[in-house]
Parts: sequence; C-alpha cells; structure tokens
Amino acid sequence: MTRSAVIVGGNRTPFVKAGTSFAAASNSDLLTAALDGLAARFGLAGRRLDEVAGGAVLKHSRDFNLTREAVMGSALDPTTPAVDLQQACATGVETVVYIANKIALGQADVGVGAGVDSASDAPITITEPLRRALLRANRARSLPERLRALATIRPHHLAPVAPQVVEPRTGLSMGEHQAVTTAKWEITRQAQDELALASHRNLAAAWDSGFFGDLVTGYLGVNRDGLLRPDTSLEKLAVLKPAFGGPDGTMTAGNSTPLTDGAAAVLLAEEGWAEANGLPRLARLVDAQVAAVDHTSGDDLLLAPTDAAARLLERQGMALGDFELYELHEAFAATVLATLAKWEKSGLGTIDTDRMNVTGSSLAAGHPFAATGGRIVATLAKLLHARGSGARGLVSVCAAGGQGIVAILEAV
Amino acid sequence: MSVRELPELPSLVPLFAKAVLPSLDRGPARIPGDTVLVRGVGQDLGRLADYDRVCGFGLSEVVPPTWLHVLTFGLHIELLSGRDSTIRLAGVVHVSNRMRLHRPVVVTDRLDVSARATNLRPHKRGALLDIVGEVHVDGELVWDGVSTYLAPGAKVPGTDEQLAREEYVPTTPNAVWRLPADLGRQYRAVSGDPNPIHTSRLAARAFGFARPIIHGMWTHARLLAAVQPRLPDAYAVEVGFARPILLPGTVGAWWRPDAGGWVAAVTDRAGAKPYLTARITPSP
Repeated sequence: MTRSAVIVGGNRTPFVKAGTSFAAASNSDLLTAALDGLAARFGLAGRRLDEVAGGAVLKHSRDFNLTREAVMGSALDPTTPAVDLQQACATGVETVVYIANKIALGQADVGVGAGVDSASDAPITITEPLRRALLRANRARSLPERLRALATIRPHHLAPVAPQVVEPRTGLSMGEHQAVTTAKWEITRQAQDELALASHRNLAAAWDSGFFGDLVTGYLGVNRDGLLRPDTSLEKLAVLKPAFGGPDGTMTAGNSTPLTDGAAAVLLAEEGWAEANGLPRLARLVDAQVAAVDHTSGDDLLLAPTDAAARLLERQGMALGDFELYELHEAFAATVLATLAKWEKSGLGTIDTDRMNVTGSSLAAGHPFAATGGRIVATLAKLLHARGSGARGLVSVCAAGGQGIVAILEAV
Repeated sequence: MSVRELPELPSLVPLFAKAVLPSLDRGPARIPGDTVLVRGVGQDLGRLADYDRVCGFGLSEVVPPTWLHVLTFGLHIELLSGRDSTIRLAGVVHVSNRMRLHRPVVVTDRLDVSARATNLRPHKRGALLDIVGEVHVDGELVWDGVSTYLAPGAKVPGTDEQLAREEYVPTTPNAVWRLPADLGRQYRAVSGDPNPIHTSRLAARAFGFARPIIHGMWTHARLLAAVQPRLPDAYAVEVGFARPILLPGTVGAWWRPDAGGWVAAVTDRAGAKPYLTARITPSP
C-alpha cells in the first residue's frame, strides 16, 4: 500500500523585525512557542510524535540539540525524538521533506517539520587568534606552557565577532550577490517595488480576512506580523535609497527582506493515520528537489531553485503551468523576478503572477531564515485545500551557498 | 477588614530599609489587619525575560506562577515594615509556601495585586504568620499564594503549632545544578528582593551563615521550571524550605510523577538531605 504524507496544518509565531518585540527571546523560546501553539491547535499536548525536525541558521554552539530541547520544553510528550537540520534558508522546507519522506517510507506516522531564527539573539563569537590561544592554554600541561599560549593574545584579538551574512568563498553578502544577478537579468526598480507592494497588500488582505487565524499564534503580546506595512505605496517605496548595487542600484530596504525573528512549525501525518485520528488533511507533499549552483564561478547565487524546478518537473512529467498557485520566497523582490526571467529564458515557461504569493510573502512578512519554509508550506497547503481536491502548488526557496529547494503540494 | 490601596507596587530598597529596623514594641506580636492592593499592575517583558532566564524557564507569553509571587513580594515587605506590625520582614524565615494558578496568565494581562497578613500563631521558636497574596485579572482570581513565615522570638499567646513536614525519603537526584557565587545577585536583579544575606558574605555571617544563601523562591522557581512543560493550565504547588543553600554550591534535584501530580525536591548532591521539597497538584 502506498503511503503518502499530508500536511495537517501549521503554526507560527508572528514574524517581527529583529531587535524589537522578540529581542529577549532565544531560538529555543521561539521554537517552543511555535510547537506549543501547534500542540494546542491539534490536541497534541502530552502526545508522543514520531519525530520533530527543526533547525536554525543563526545558531549558538550551546544549542547543538536545539529542536530536542525545544520539544522537551514544549507541551509535547518528552519522549518525542527530534533532529536538527540546517540548509540555510531552505531549512524550513527540508525539515518538512525529511518528515514527509519518513512518513512515506513507513518510518513514521506523524511528525513536525519546523524552523526558527532569531537575528536578535545571534551568537557573538571570539576572534580566531583568541580562540586558538585559549584552546592551546587549555591543552597546556604546565603553567609556563599555559602562559606562553596566553601571551600570544593581543588586545585587538579581544573584540567580539558578530555573525556575518556573507558567502565565505566570495566575501560578498547575499544582497551584493543578488545585485549582480539583478543587473544581469535587467530587473528594474519599478518591477521590484511593484512586487514588494503586492506582497504587503496581499499579506494585509490575508490578515484582514482572518486567513492566518489558524496559522499563527500570538507571542509576547504580538498578534500580527510586525513588518507588514499595509499603507505602503509605490511612491513611498520609490524614495528609498539603494541598499545594494552601488549608487545606481535598484535594490532598497523596501524590496529586500530585513533581519527578522520568528518560528514556524508544520504538522505532517500519513494520510490514513490522519484520517483515523480525526486530523485535517490539507495537502499531500508530492515531491521535492534540491539543487545547487556554482556561484563561486559566476552562477547566480540565489537562482538554484530554477535548476531544482527543471529537474523536479521533468521527473514528475509536469510543466510549469500545471499549478494553481506558486509560492516563491521573496529573499529580495529581484530574486523572484530573476527566477521568473530565468524560467522563461530556459524554456520552462511563464506563470500567471496573479497566482503567485497570493497571501503575501517574505518582503511583507519578514524572513526569519529557517522559519520561512514552514510559513510557506502551511500557507500553501491551506490555500490549495480551499481550492479543492487535486489543486497543485509549487514552492520555491533559495538559500545561501548557491542552493535552492522546490516542492510540489497537492490538495487532498 | 479594610483595604488600603497603593498607587503602585512599592519600591523595595527603601521599604526594606524600614523592614530591617526592629520594632521597639516589646508587647505581644501584632500584624496589620488591612489588605494592601495595587490595581492595574503592568508586567515588564524585559524583566520577565530576565527572570525566566535566571530561574530556568523558557520565555513564553504565559508567565510562571512564581513570577506572580515576585510581583506580590513588595506588598509582603509593605505589610511587615509598618507601625502596625511588630514583625519585620528582614527578621523572618520563609518556612513554606503554596500557590495556586487558576488559569494561565499572560504577560500582557494587567493585574490587580493584593496581599494581607493573617493567621498569627505561636511556634516553639517564636510565631508563625501567613501572607496571603492574590492576583486578579478583570475581577477574576487567577492566582493566589500563601507564604508562611517564622518570626523568631515573637510572642503570641496560645499553644505552639507544629509545622507539618512530610518525612523525606532519600532519593537519587536526576539532575545536578551548579549555583554560581553571583546567583544571589542575579536573582536580586530580577526579583527586587534586596535582602543582603543573599549577596553579602558579611550580612550572611551576621545571620549565622558562612556564605550568602540563595533566595528560597529562586530554588522554588528553578524546580518548578524543570517540571513546568508537563503541567496543566491550572495547578497548585506547595513547597517546604528545609534548609538554606550556600553560594556557590552544587545541589541535586529530582522530580517524578506522583498521584496524578508531581513530587520533587532540591537536595544535596547525594539526594540524602532536602533543601526544598515540593508537591504539585493539578487543579480539578
């Protein structure tokens, strides 16, 4: 008998700008809050799930067991096992795929795919020379040896080191990489601002209609996404100065995602198991594909999802036009527009952009790196379910390291 | 019984200074008869986050019940520092505590916080009294607590009350906690309890302790934090403070389900002697 994994539902915290309402919350606090909200929504308190997969991009070394610790701090049964996964911004989709694959293989009946990121509580580390000196001192067998090790420390080694969002092999930040892509694909400022505006309008309309009522649980007194600007306009976006690409750059704070805090979790179950346990069945996870490009040799850092989509569609015998809805993660407005341009140029075709990110995406909601996948999957599953059995949707998320993941959902 | 309404929760340091001065009244012990009340107390998220971290709780929208005790604590000092009390908070020993959480309280709730002193009774070492605290949200009782204090040397007519103590059965701890020397300072910052026996070696010596001792309510909170994810929305927790914990120190702790609730203790490393014993009972 074939087993298929269905998305039962999701829960996330509101997403807020880093350093604001959730500044005091750790990754563990946020992930626990997302899991507790999920447990409350689906009656999972005190129940053992087969596994919870979760992850964070900005992670403290003490959080080596982040997800397991969050599970033990949550209302879930403490005998629920957990695993930490990380694939940069693709983490939230990868954790869902991991659980779905286990379900399909018969290794699990029910589990959670989750992700969290706190840019507020990012780890600060020490300089490499200081770290190496301390390790040498720790290994030293005599006092003189220890003192010799410590004597190599210089005052400038003592400065704290904040995490950087740069590609280690190119030294370019994600925004700088995207600026190259943006220019190469001739993405205009106007098109980027229009996409950002649509994201805010769609997200605001979805909030106003109550769409997120069963997808979001308030946290620390915040009940709505904090970055959402319902009253933004093309005029307001047009006056913003370029943030990437130099003085003539087209990418601004308005059409790029800011550092964000938040967590998201998706409940998955085997279809028959969900039915037997009286749980909703929103959509099946049909298939997924990751891909990577060689951005160190000039490939577009954030366009790996276009390759992933090509391989996935070929395997499934589907075309780009076979989907009712598309969810393209808005790392930058220009990323989405370049993805569409590359799909068209590579012969994959075009999509009806009115079917894309219909309840808003990362430009309006914000982008807590590892939590974005969970937000997208739960949102799309709900949207597809409302459209009726068989409705299909495509998810596309780019990630650091020149990687990307795409996935197909189909309404039950 | 009269209710005395204060405009805000009292600032603890000046109040504590008053609570240190001994009462000159040498007659039979007296406690105030009125209830002190502060309406509309807001909760500070930053302070809650610090409290949670120091005590081992995760930062949740739902606050720990021991945090609500902390919010009432200023009123304990207020009651035991005025002219109508011969008992001074600085001189009492917190011997037991029980609190009931009637429903989850969230950090955005505005709280009506009250406390009254009651049940003054004789004890072989002095007198016992209870401070009963209550927290209401929109007129609904959401939390109440009874802190039982021993006032050594206080004179109250009547027959001595024996404190009921469950016999402690030595139990191997399932956790080891290392309490740093500055833990008293950390807890002072989040609780506002300025008693120097928790932070100063000199003050601790004056009270007969070799080193500063950690606040009993920290120990209570830390133990509750270990069990809290497993607890229902409403429950009662009773603790007995058996002996003080010197800082720095390493202690054991254990907790296990029992009779539909939990029993738990903070002990020496071997689990032979308890510092604090606890019982948690879900509300029906």
